[in-house]
Amino acid sequence: MITRFPSLSRKFTASYEPWKSLDIPWTPVTTALENSKIAVVTTAGVHHKDQEPFNMKDRDGDPSYRIIDITRPLSSVMITHDYYDHSDADRDINIVFPVERLKEFAKAGYIGRVADLHYGFMGHITGKYILTLINKSAPEVADRLKKDNIDIVLLTPG
Amino acid sequence: MGLIQREIEKEGIPTIGVSIVREYSEQVKPPRTIFLRWPFGHPFGAPFNTAQQRVVLAEALRALYTIQEPGTIIDLSHKLRGEKFDGETIDIILPRGLNESRK
Repeated sequence: MITRFPSLSRKFTASYEPWKSLDIPWTPVTTALENSKIAVVTTAGVHHKDQEPFNMKDRDGDPSYRIIDITRPLSSVMITHDYYDHSDADRDINIVFPVERLKEFAKAGYIGRVADLHYGFMGHITGKYILTLINKSAPEVADRLKKDNIDIVLLTPG
Repeated sequence: MGLIQREIEKEGIPTIGVSIVREYSEQVKPPRTIFLRWPFGHPFGAPFNTAQQRVVLAEALRALYTIQEPGTIIDLSHKLRGEKFDGETIDIILPRGLNESRK
């Protein structure tokens, strides 16, 4: 709906009440950039075409995530997200999921390496799913990132 | 996005987020953010403008190493269209030894 009427996006933003946090978590950066392994977590609705798309029918969104394996061709990836106009990102996924730019940075030696596995969420999670996100999906992904020895996580929106 | 970022940081991995809605970042309070006043669907800029996408990526990585205060939002003034980006810019944003400046 909102994809077809982009002007609705800003109205949605105006009515969307974000979670208000008091504390701010902090982990110091200890690994040099050129030795760091980097993964991306995106809320732009990115997933593989052969994975179940995000649920667009639930008004509170979809708090689940998809594992994006970039050893597969980039053409295997698509976007399911009705709350922003992703027609430009459909043509060049790097504007929401900059995996090709990261690979270039690794090749040029700015960063150590790019992870094989990245994580796709759908943004605009509201209502009952906020706690599912905070208590289940996000910690699960954090655990996977830890097990994959990720040094830096880059978060990108839709 | 910020809520997920906070959980990952809590688990002990440093994070940097790219924001296009400053109000969300102010309220959700992720640890480190760069902000661009760009439209939805374009956090790294315009499709196929690879030089522009590299600049945003470099700015994000730089912010990871330069932000010292939890909750900092760095406002970037890059333009979505009409700004010329070139390869040399990356070395200015991400100088070698940037990591050392923190130690």
